[in-house]
Amino acid sequence: MAITASFIIVSRNDIPIYEAEVGSATKREDAAQLHQFVLHAALDIVQDLAWTTSAMFLKNIDRFNDLVVSVYVTAGHILFIY
Amino acid sequence: MDPAGTPLGKMLLEEITPVVMVLRTPSVEEACVKNGLSFVEMLSPFCNFSNIDVPLRTSSDQPYRLHKFKLRLFYESDVRQPNIEVAKERLKQVITKAGEKENLELISDPPQVSNLLDSSKSELLPSWFEYLNKELIRTASFSEHETFDHPVGCLLVVSSKDEQPINRFIDHFNTNKLPSLLNDGAMDPKILKHYLLVHDNHDGSSEKASKILSEMKSTFGTNECHLLCINSSQDAKMEHQDDPWASYKYDGSPVQRLGCCLDVDDISALKDLMHEFSSKHVIPYMEQKVRILNQQVSATRRGFRNQIKNLWWRKGKDDPNEMPSGSMYTFSSIESQIRVLGDHAFMLHDYELALANYRLISTDYKLDKAWKRYAGVQEMMALAYFLLDQSRKEAEYCMENAFNTYLKLGSSGQQNATRCGLWWIEMLKTRDQYKEAASVYFRICSEELLHSAVMLEQASYCYLFSKPPMLYKYGFHLVLSGDRYRKTDQIKHAIRTYRSALSVYRETTWSYIRDHVHFHIGQWYALLGFHDVAVRHMLQVLACSHQSKATQELFLRDFLQIFQGAGKTFEVPGLQLPVIDISSLKVVFEDQRTYASSLAASVRESLWRSLEEDLIPSLPGARTNWLDVQTKLMPKRLRESNVCVAGEAIKVVVEFKNPLQVPIPISNVSLICELSRSEEEISDTNASTSELANDEDHQRVVSSDSGSVILSEFDFSLGGGEKKLVELTVTPKLEGTLKLVGVRWKFSGCVGFYTFESILLVKKIARGKRKAKAKQSPLNDLKFVVIKPVPKLEGHIRSFPEKAYAGHIQPLILELKNQSNCSIKNLKMKISHPRFLSIGNKEVPHVDFRACLEKQSDNKQGGTRANLKKASQGVFLFPEDVAIKGDKPLLWPLWLRAAVPENFLLYIIIYYEMEDASSVMKYRTLRLHYNLQVLPSLDVSFKISPCPSRLQEFLVRMDVVNKASSQSFQVSQLSTVGDNWGISRLQPIDGIIPSQSLTVGQAFSFFFMLKSRRLSSVDAATHVPDLSPDVDNDVILCPGSVKEPLVNATHSPLANFHDSERLQHGIHNQKDDNTVDFVLISRPLKSDTNSEEDSDQPQLFSHHACYCRTASTSPISWTMIGPRTKYHNFSSSFCEINLKMTIHNSSDAIASISISTADSAGQSDALPSQGGWKPVVKEIKAASPKAAGIIAGNSPESLSSLKPVASPVSSFIWSGSSSSNFQLGPRSSTDIPMQICVFSPGTYDLSSYVLNWNLRQDDGGCDQLEAKESNPEETRKLSGTCSGYPYFLTVLQSV
Repeated sequence: MAITASFIIVSRNDIPIYEAEVGSATKREDAAQLHQFVLHAALDIVQDLAWTTSAMFLKNIDRFNDLVVSVYVTAGHILFIY
Repeated sequence: MDPAGTPLGKMLLEEITPVVMVLRTPSVEEACVKNGLSFVEMLSPFCNFSNIDVPLRTSSDQPYRLHKFKLRLFYESDVRQPNIEVAKERLKQVITKAGEKENLELISDPPQVSNLLDSSKSELLPSWFEYLNKELIRTASFSEHETFDHPVGCLLVVSSKDEQPINRFIDHFNTNKLPSLLNDGAMDPKILKHYLLVHDNHDGSSEKASKILSEMKSTFGTNECHLLCINSSQDAKMEHQDDPWASYKYDGSPVQRLGCCLDVDDISALKDLMHEFSSKHVIPYMEQKVRILNQQVSATRRGFRNQIKNLWWRKGKDDPNEMPSGSMYTFSSIESQIRVLGDHAFMLHDYELALANYRLISTDYKLDKAWKRYAGVQEMMALAYFLLDQSRKEAEYCMENAFNTYLKLGSSGQQNATRCGLWWIEMLKTRDQYKEAASVYFRICSEELLHSAVMLEQASYCYLFSKPPMLYKYGFHLVLSGDRYRKTDQIKHAIRTYRSALSVYRETTWSYIRDHVHFHIGQWYALLGFHDVAVRHMLQVLACSHQSKATQELFLRDFLQIFQGAGKTFEVPGLQLPVIDISSLKVVFEDQRTYASSLAASVRESLWRSLEEDLIPSLPGARTNWLDVQTKLMPKRLRESNVCVAGEAIKVVVEFKNPLQVPIPISNVSLICELSRSEEEISDTNASTSELANDEDHQRVVSSDSGSVILSEFDFSLGGGEKKLVELTVTPKLEGTLKLVGVRWKFSGCVGFYTFESILLVKKIARGKRKAKAKQSPLNDLKFVVIKPVPKLEGHIRSFPEKAYAGHIQPLILELKNQSNCSIKNLKMKISHPRFLSIGNKEVPHVDFRACLEKQSDNKQGGTRANLKKASQGVFLFPEDVAIKGDKPLLWPLWLRAAVPENFLLYIIIYYEMEDASSVMKYRTLRLHYNLQVLPSLDVSFKISPCPSRLQEFLVRMDVVNKASSQSFQVSQLSTVGDNWGISRLQPIDGIIPSQSLTVGQAFSFFFMLKSRRLSSVDAATHVPDLSPDVDNDVILCPGSVKEPLVNATHSPLANFHDSERLQHGIHNQKDDNTVDFVLISRPLKSDTNSEEDSDQPQLFSHHACYCRTASTSPISWTMIGPRTKYHNFSSSFCEINLKMTIHNSSDAIASISISTADSAGQSDALPSQGGWKPVVKEIKAASPKAAGIIAGNSPESLSSLKPVASPVSSFIWSGSSSSNFQLGPRSSTDIPMQICVFSPGTYDLSSYVLNWNLRQDDGGCDQLEAKESNPEETRKLSGTCSGYPYFLTVLQSV
């Protein structure tokens, strides 16, 4: 199944500092904004979760339909989401 | 926490209550309609008992009291599963109606996030959610698998008006009228029956009614019959303080007052009726039924044996009915009975009994795979758990189980799933598990868009209420919901959701999100006709550089559409199309500094300053030194702010950038300026108040001042991603204070403007280059004091070339114009690189270009130079009589010589003073700046070596390499500069250079003879008779150029350039006799490409070489003069040869010179084999004690090498009386006679002498010493020793 993945690095204060759309699937018109929406919404979960666990890689923390969000939280609280 | 007190508890106490089926005749309705109510509606308010206080016993005989109780009344026609389509329609209406109410709020700004969190839940949650949820739950009512909706009792109502009322009662139970639930056996048809006779008092007295009642009592039994008298109020004007029906009538504006015909007695009768019906009939009936069923269930299913049996039996039932419709469970089946028992117990608030039965039956249903029933039971179990406030986990587990099971059923379970979900959500909400509740909402969403829209919106609120609030989720779900609302044309709802989402996304940096929200909300506002708001939102998305081109086009198109829809022009402060790069902002204004071109204006101020230093008397702006006393040239006010002159344009260069990939047209770009006349207003307090706060003010600024300033307007189009620097000008026409406020432009009817201040206040970093006073705030940089007009000089150099080959000499004309009528004086000019540009002579017009350069017979050297009034530091003063006024320009010739190949920047400053002493500005400067690319052409180098045989004659080798890329040159002339040197060819003119020109890359060497002319002039008559008369300053190198006149290297332009070259190369301007300057004149070959420019104009190149040293480093030079060959008969005697040494002192000091011809004696001693000569030496020494001695051969080394053959070595001795010490005056020559004795024939090298010289510094030597000190590289010694030149003499034996 070819789905595009979206990769975003988010700095503190939830500002995206790097965005990339990876994948070969035919791009839906609104894919970019949908991904942003999903990832943005997932930040809520991350904020809760990041303080409760010592793990840096948080797998499948949130999902929207068939989009799954995993996060790598760095010590500086910079997030890599995809 | 009391579970019953929670929202869910209340909801359950209302929804899961006994149902009473009402059967009535039409005449009953007629009587009720007078009150604006149906019969059921009339009764409904009185079916709800907050404290009915009925004593009850549980199945285990535990007494308890029932407090809250409610009966639900339904007509027999309503006791059925509602039609899904109808229900949907009704829901849609509810939503639409709710949407219409929002109208007013839509335009207001969305609340801030912080406010959002502070405000209470009830404020935020739209009130219609609750009602809608109720409606949703009702869509699942009267299902077959659940019995709590099955009627417990039946109310048969007949009006006293009806004929044969008793028969009507019986007719009611005609099976065809009854709901299907009763008919198809899903429920027990034997239910509680109650007979009610309704009497309308309008129809007369109740006598007839009481007669019928007694008849009824006899027929149906006394307890089951009632008489209800209504409409006692005759005038229908009854008013009820607390309208009991208000909450039961949702829709329809009450035209008629509800219950207007019912007086107080009627209402109390209604109350009594229902109370009695509930407490005396319904509740006891249910209690009784619970008891009976419980016994039955206990008998068949309770106990270990029964359970085993049941399990066994169930297992044996291999073919469970796949149909979940329930026909397998009739009312008489034990499963149904357990369910009824459970539901009844539930309704009578005996939750434990209910739970036990539900549990019992759920396993049965599961085994039977009767999923719908199973889910229903699970649902009820969860609710029972909840109401018992027992194990939360169990409750949730059951709920989830039920929900999932319903979902598995597909469409048939959809309504139930929704209801179940809503209950579940309520349960979670009660426990503050909002996050989980939200996810349940999300799961309720079905394909049906409207439904899911509402659910998503509710989900979003759950996220908002969760602790901590999950704002991002809130926003996201609002957007999802809004999207669905939009798809179902609920635009108002859509806007509402997006608006709420905006409060989350307002400041977001997630570009796609922001664009999406703003774009859609803008679109929807436009659909509703709120164009203003729509435009405001659309503006936010316009500068979406990250979007694809298609999206950008879409955004732009929609924006323009909405804009046209709005039908008016907007002033948009934040228009992002195009983007203005504030860092590119550059203000060029001219106070006393004026610029000839924008190129000149972009040059660093410090560079101009350094050039201006000598030019300007005292520069008020330039605080070169803190000690500088501020001159009173300008008032303080002017000094502190930027000054500009009325009538002269201020240029503002701003970069516009199109962030899109779509080309956009921009029109009417102009500056926003403010020109205030009064002087008082200039105080700084004014500047701090933001005058652009409101638009009206802004309009005033633009419109009112249009008369006093001239603004330039530009129209242009920006392609995709294009950047454009736009130069805007503003010309103040009056004196006062001018303030640059911002830029405005039109983008298809939309006026965007941009204020500099807003940005500048934020970025206080130094920005432009043209900041006159760095310590002022940036704001002041945009403020100008306009002073009254003063003359302004404009100037340029006509047709300044962009490229030139190195050495190219070109005439140019400087054109100066003064447009005003005031005259100016004291013109001065300074050129940054006099090496490249020399100022010509006004009297010699350039038309006679050739004449200027050619060598004329009456060569008045330096005559032209005298005309140029050269002040110090290369400042050129124009003659006093030069006046520039009006239209007549001043033309001044200039010479350009591309000195060295490089990219060369030329700066020229022209200073002038105002004739009018009263003007504020005393002087101004005009700054010109040009760029010249100099290409390499000929590379010339000289090598000079002294001629060994001739004094003051040198051999010059000139190496010429053509380094140009495409040009061939013809080398035409070589000149020496000054009178000291003459040069002559060594080769015939034709043979010098075969091809007559130097092609690209070709190198060639020329040889010349250089002669010191001064020597010849001093003692030409006696000593240098062979000085040829053709020794001249110039040598023609090319036969072709013989026809051409010689170029005068000493004349004006060339001489000037040569001086500059000397300045460049040499460090001092002092004459040094040992250096020579050459000027090589060359011409480009006419056949080449660049001849088309000015073929008639002779092109001339000059290459200068300065301070070419004549090779010797000593100031003393000499030559030996004497015979080269001599015949002598050695048999008779040894040979004596007389020689003469001519010594020349070229220095300016007296030199004392000693010549020592002898070598040391010790060397002779060391060579005892030569001892044979010693006596002779001694002898000779004795004979000539001053003679130095002897040496044999060339050198001691060669001598020792010749040792074996020492005897035949011919030798000589210096003899004769030579004055070894003498003084030589400056620049003079003397002859010293010398003699040698040769003893045998051979060739002798007479270099074995040493010259010691010593310069005396007593007269004129001191300045030379200074010169020496200042030039360490010029290692001129004050004394030195030179060994002799080789001079070969051959002596032959004469026969």
